[in-house]
Amino acid sequence: MISKTFLKETKELFREGRVRIAFLIVLLLLGVAVWISVEQYQNTNEQYAAAKNAEREVWNNQGEKNPHSAAHYGTYAFKPKYPLSLVDQGVDKYTGTSIFLEAHKRNEAQFSAAADQTGLARFGDLTPDFILLFIIPLLIILLGYNSFTKEREMGTLTLLKSQGISSFKWLMGKWSALFLPIFTITAVVFLLAGVLLTNLKDFGVFKWNSLLVMFLVYVAYYIIFINMVLLVSSLVKKSGISLVVSLSIWILACLAVPKAASNIAESKHPYPTRQEFAANVLEDKKKGVDGHNPWSKEAKMLEEQVLKEYGVDSLHQLPFNFSAYRMQKGEEHEAEVYFKHYNYLKEQYVNQSRVYRGLAAISPYLPTRFLSMAIASTDYDTHWDFADAAETYRIATQKFLNDNTAQNTKYGERGYKASADFWKKLPAFKYDPPELTSIIDRNSSNIGILGVWLLASFTVLFFTSKIV
Amino acid sequence: MSLILLLLFGFATYNGLQKVEKRKSDILAAKTEVKENDVLMLKLLDSVERGLSVNATPWTIPTSPMAVGNYHPRVAAMEPQPMTFISTGQADVFTHYVKPTVRSDDFALNFTEMTSPVQLLFGSFDLAFVIVYLLPLLIIAFSYNVLSAEKESGSLRLLAAQPIRIQTWVAQKLGLRFFWLSLLVIVSLLVVFTLLGLSFIVKTTTFFGLLGLTLTYMLFWFAIAFLVNLWVGSSAKNAVALLGLWVTFVLLVPSVLNQLGNTIYPMPSRNLMINEMRNLKADVTEKQDEILDNFLRDHPEYALNDSTQSRGFYHRYMASQELIREELSPLVSSFEEQLQKQQAWIGKFKWISPAILAQESLSKMSGTSKSDYEDYRKQVIVFAGKWREHLIPFLYNNQDFTQADYKDLPTFNYQPNSYSKWMASFMILIIGFCLFGLGLLRAKSLGAAGILK
Amino acid sequence: MITTTNLTKKYGEHTALNQLNLKVNEGEIYCLLGANGAGKTTTINLLLGFVSPTSGSAHISQLNVHENTKATKKFLAYIPENLMLYPTLTAVENLDYFSGIAGKKLSTALLKDFLEEAGLQSEAFDKRISTFSKGMRQKVGIAIAMAKEAKVLLLDEPTSGLDPKASNEFGMLLRKLRNKGVATLMATHDLFRAKEVGTRVGIMKDGQLKQEFNVENISLNELELFYLDTMNLKEASL
Repeated sequence: MISKTFLKETKELFREGRVRIAFLIVLLLLGVAVWISVEQYQNTNEQYAAAKNAEREVWNNQGEKNPHSAAHYGTYAFKPKYPLSLVDQGVDKYTGTSIFLEAHKRNEAQFSAAADQTGLARFGDLTPDFILLFIIPLLIILLGYNSFTKEREMGTLTLLKSQGISSFKWLMGKWSALFLPIFTITAVVFLLAGVLLTNLKDFGVFKWNSLLVMFLVYVAYYIIFINMVLLVSSLVKKSGISLVVSLSIWILACLAVPKAASNIAESKHPYPTRQEFAANVLEDKKKGVDGHNPWSKEAKMLEEQVLKEYGVDSLHQLPFNFSAYRMQKGEEHEAEVYFKHYNYLKEQYVNQSRVYRGLAAISPYLPTRFLSMAIASTDYDTHWDFADAAETYRIATQKFLNDNTAQNTKYGERGYKASADFWKKLPAFKYDPPELTSIIDRNSSNIGILGVWLLASFTVLFFTSKIV
Repeated sequence: MSLILLLLFGFATYNGLQKVEKRKSDILAAKTEVKENDVLMLKLLDSVERGLSVNATPWTIPTSPMAVGNYHPRVAAMEPQPMTFISTGQADVFTHYVKPTVRSDDFALNFTEMTSPVQLLFGSFDLAFVIVYLLPLLIIAFSYNVLSAEKESGSLRLLAAQPIRIQTWVAQKLGLRFFWLSLLVIVSLLVVFTLLGLSFIVKTTTFFGLLGLTLTYMLFWFAIAFLVNLWVGSSAKNAVALLGLWVTFVLLVPSVLNQLGNTIYPMPSRNLMINEMRNLKADVTEKQDEILDNFLRDHPEYALNDSTQSRGFYHRYMASQELIREELSPLVSSFEEQLQKQQAWIGKFKWISPAILAQESLSKMSGTSKSDYEDYRKQVIVFAGKWREHLIPFLYNNQDFTQADYKDLPTFNYQPNSYSKWMASFMILIIGFCLFGLGLLRAKSLGAAGILK
Repeated sequence: MITTTNLTKKYGEHTALNQLNLKVNEGEIYCLLGANGAGKTTTINLLLGFVSPTSGSAHISQLNVHENTKATKKFLAYIPENLMLYPTLTAVENLDYFSGIAGKKLSTALLKDFLEEAGLQSEAFDKRISTFSKGMRQKVGIAIAMAKEAKVLLLDEPTSGLDPKASNEFGMLLRKLRNKGVATLMATHDLFRAKEVGTRVGIMKDGQLKQEFNVENISLNELELFYLDTMNLKEASL
């Protein structure tokens, strides 16, 4: 009987004008979104490659120069786009794409795309994730809101009851009729994305299993919606009310709760303002060695300590250039200060995440969004990862430069210039996003929440729906 | 229903107010800090002028104008407006105060705020969200079956036999709902504002602007409901059509327009701009002496005033910065121009969706629209220029900065944008009326028989 | 076979059905007459197992309806007053689906045979139900009953809204089924049709069965008189 119901429902759905139109529109939107995404992806990656190479050229061709001047001149670390960002853009629009690596300062990523766009950018972009997260659940509501109510309103329920219909089988038939078209659309989108990505010149390693996991996440999300829509349809008497209720659930889950969550997260665990942050960092920096200031208390203390360590009386007797050594120590102190303050930011973010996870109890959208972004490497965690990697590289660069001066000059020497081919010796910045297994590990709580939603929605559907 | 409205408005306004509070306290904290620093600075200056020795790093002593310029900057703050709580707009992307130093590069001045990008992605539950996104849904929920319910229960045939025109009857029914909903909205807003301690009396015109916009926006949606009721048919189809229209106006049209704007006038690559900038800086660093000479040649007054003629790091540096600014300004302004082109192009088409009009108008009312921040940024850059211009003569005349010079330091005052309060409301009203007119025409052509089918 | 024994249904204070004792044998068409609210539909609902009795019992083919709702549904077919089918599906598809629910897997040819037997014109087989008149829908309902090989047929006002020709055709179908041994209970206002096809007639008032007749023993005129009389009677027992 399940298959009969499934066939009948499917026939009914596709003979209805509104369904056909809605389906076509969604397919069209998806097509456009994917195409736009591909264009953007290619563009961004081309720019990234160009910028990265140009920057490396600039660095390599500094000519003869004092290493510390080079340290202040600095270099840039650019953030590439990864293949799955084709499907989910995540927070990329709001994070910067380049970090300036200079001496004594840890910078934030600059030039987020959103800062350059008009106010319309906040409405959302026509991207695949927009369609997948917002429009397809709406499609589910459109297809299924009257699944049970129509039988009551049309009058066919009476005849069905008299034929001795089994509630469970009927439910399964309707469920599968609703599931199949949604599953098909999603599968088509993901297959298309996969095919496109394997044919594009890759700037990251595209893995089919990441795509698969992402696909499963979305399928779970849609199953949850299907369950909710069918539940509402079975509990309510009129189609109109069923539509309104399902819609309210959609608005709550996808629009209202995320916004409310972001407000609550921010007010409970706010970030400092940029200026405040900078001021705090400055305060802490003063409490240690400043490479440029040989007369500070801390610098003097360092002097004494090193002299004692090497058992000499004056800095000239040290086997290396103490100025450069002091510079390096100053650098290390500053890096620690930054580490402490950025850690605070991370803690705030972890606390904010907890708020989001808490509110995921009323919105399956939240865990889905976070998981999708994580797998696409377009989430905030990946950005932190990249920023940290850039910082590690910056510290290594400073050491590379300072050590060169320390080894090749004597204390008090001025005007030392490293040779023109010294710069090439600095290894290039390389960043690889986390592997799928570690992403899954890191997001296990979101996976758990999604699982709970799945289980709960099925349970409630099977035990509460009084259909016949 | 009124409870829902109260809750929504209440929560949204509360959020908005919280953000405003935070903004105010941040700015206050910054200003207080500057004041305290100034006190210290004046003390130091006093000591130096009295010939006492001071315990500070040599290059931070404020007799040097560059030290004043770099270590004692002024706060250039963007104070919140009375109605800022209505719409978060871009307020979460950008910062509301900057302290420009003489050393800072104009384009390196970072105007974005430190926020979790997840927050930016999700947006804010503010009053604008409730009005632009949620209110239409309420309207749809209560008006999608005005005509079709009667049709389906069979009583429409009876009505058609009465001496009243169907379209008049539908318009009346909807009109009544509009009236009651408007009343509810106005009362809820008043209640919420009073409860949260807002003195809207102070800015009555803006409050009325808000009401006007909300009501015309609601009218637009009622007009759409009117049209759909007459045009479409069954309750189910009406609901689906109205929903589709909501998605189109509120979600799709803005994102499509945004996409098109980006495609037609794409922003130049910031990363490539960085490369240009770095190349230029590299060049300039090599020719610093030459640049300084050129600069002094252009500003002969400095050569005359200064007896010592000594030239230090800052002399060269500031001159180079001047040059870099000049050279890079076409590149930097290309970004501004492109953004303006995008804005202008979008401006041509934004009337397609009253949701865009409403959102923009609300953001302008709050002073949190993109153009407000652009404006602020320009004002800050002008001020940074003034700050530099004020202190540079000290530098090139090798003149010390004294306590007496303190009162002449330039201060920043933010000039908020003025905008036409009624433009958007007017446009939406026109659109609404056009739709009503369309509906009436359609109803006429259908005739009673057509509607009954 | 249909049997009710002291079947009673109360909704709160209101007694919809009071101690109904009714028997319909195989090959019989029992016509239940009565005004609106007399208890005809309640009787049918109880026989279908849609509601449960306050006291007493109903049996279909020796099975207690209340205790074996699923099993009894295998034997009976029901045609409500307003038989609604799925408008976007064709007659064949509707028949296929409904018989599928009842557990029958029938080939398209067999389905079409049933439709033909039910008197539906062959051009209508693959047309959508939305184009069908009430009479045509009734025929599909009969086809569903036949396809189910039901032993018991419950009908609620089947001829209301049918023109004389369709009503006549329906009557012939009922006789066909009767000859096959089906026990039919027909709730109706249609005295003429009751006299035409019925074996026995029962008149209900206020939830009670007031009178019972064998149709062959009574003329149409007498039937009408008895009917109106019963309606006017105050408190009369059988």
